[in-house]
Amino acid sequence: MIMFDEVTKAYEKEHVFKNISFSIGTGELAFITGPSGAGKTTLLKLIYGAEGPDSGQIVVGDWVVSKLKQKTIPSLRQNIGVVFQDFRLLSNKTVFDNVALALSIHGRHHHEIRERVNAVLKEIKLIHKANVFPQYLSGGEQQRAVIARAMVSKPMILLADEPTGNLDPGNADVVMNLFRDINARGTTVLIATHNEGLYRGTGKRVFFINNKYIEKEYTA
Amino acid sequence: MRILRYSFQNAIKSIWREKWLNLLAVLSVSIGLSILGAFVIITLNLDSVLHRWSKSFGMVVYMNRELSREREDALEKYFKQDADVAGVKYISKEQALKEVRQVLGSNALIVDGVEENPLPSSFELTLKSELLEPAVVKNKAAQIKMMSGVEEIQYGEKWLSSLNTVSGAMKLGAVFLGFGIFTAVTFITYSTIKIFFYRRRDEIETLKLLGATRSFIRIPFMIEAFFIGFIGGVIGALATYGAYSFASLRIVEFMPAMKTNIAPMPLSAYALIPFCGAVMSIIGSLVAVGKIKY
Repeated sequence: MIMFDEVTKAYEKEHVFKNISFSIGTGELAFITGPSGAGKTTLLKLIYGAEGPDSGQIVVGDWVVSKLKQKTIPSLRQNIGVVFQDFRLLSNKTVFDNVALALSIHGRHHHEIRERVNAVLKEIKLIHKANVFPQYLSGGEQQRAVIARAMVSKPMILLADEPTGNLDPGNADVVMNLFRDINARGTTVLIATHNEGLYRGTGKRVFFINNKYIEKEYTA
Repeated sequence: MRILRYSFQNAIKSIWREKWLNLLAVLSVSIGLSILGAFVIITLNLDSVLHRWSKSFGMVVYMNRELSREREDALEKYFKQDADVAGVKYISKEQALKEVRQVLGSNALIVDGVEENPLPSSFELTLKSELLEPAVVKNKAAQIKMMSGVEEIQYGEKWLSSLNTVSGAMKLGAVFLGFGIFTAVTFITYSTIKIFFYRRRDEIETLKLLGATRSFIRIPFMIEAFFIGFIGGVIGALATYGAYSFASLRIVEFMPAMKTNIAPMPLSAYALIPFCGAVMSIIGSLVAVGKIKY
């Protein structure tokens, strides 16, 4: 599903990765970890085409991301749900509209959008906040709203960048359980985190990035 | 279609949210288009005046006084068959003298003392209006002058030249003003949409990350620009029509004879103003949004 082959990435001659290779299978749940600044966010950006590699090949599903033309990027992103570290919820739209946005981009019918969004908001227990603007939500609620937006279009892949970074342990567990549920339905999930507690004992693969390389790959 | 629905909803929300800025842009566009409309009406009226003048433009061909009646008939026949000539009027020596007497009125005694009629017979030729170019008329005059029996030709060479200069200047002015207004309207919408685009840059960035296509991002801005240009155009057309109606009423009040001479702008041209505004604004919005990079 996701394959990195000898990928190198540098910002102004400062290498983030040097010839890294790894792959994540369809329907897998895996973690990317490492110290701050190790390149976890960059790695996710390389997957959804927000950054391009300097060399090497990145394949996501049927897309060779490293060779993707600008006009093809939207179709790749429509198949990837992303939970951003900074949420990226639109402050002028309600929770419902923020979640519906992902389906509007897909060009879905408004009846379908209403049904899907309501179903997802019920599932993540945010239906009572559907008409609330994001700035009036708690950190945990905002994070759940972002997850709802990422999962509503039933993407092939879900990427999460430090999804529990701003959450207390209780909310972190809720969010992690949501990811497990999403993965159980067949979606490939890749979570970038420096929170060891999130992956310890899960039995899932962990990629530890440090000093421009994947230093360790192990089962938690 | 569904994306259009979303774009319309988004554009309407944005129009309402940024209502004061939109109103300012609409008024600026309407002023620009009113100026253009007014200039078109003025040009149309000046052109109609010039057209009326040119219709009465004539060339007087004086004959040799010794010319036989047969030769005069032959020349008349020739002029009538000439494709460049719209009208031919023969004025005999006697008629010419009669006209001079009429013009002199009580002073006609002056000609009474003359024993022999000194005036030549002549032809008054009206040229086709599409040939009223100074160079063409000059050539035609030279060609007629070469004909046997023709003594002299008179036509308003300077007048015709001035008429053409005015007409040319007006047309050039219309092109320049039209281009100026096009640039101004496009720039007004460009600036407005650029501000909206800048204010919504975070939203656009998020849309791009969620997989929005370029047209999904662009269309709401284009709809907003269409609204600015079209509504500005409607106001501009109404203002132009109002100003024209008011001005023509005032002119007729002071100069009743002008009533039939005022040329109105066709209604289809009024209907065209909002669409011109819309097209100019959409161009402005496309430039403002620019190339969307992922």
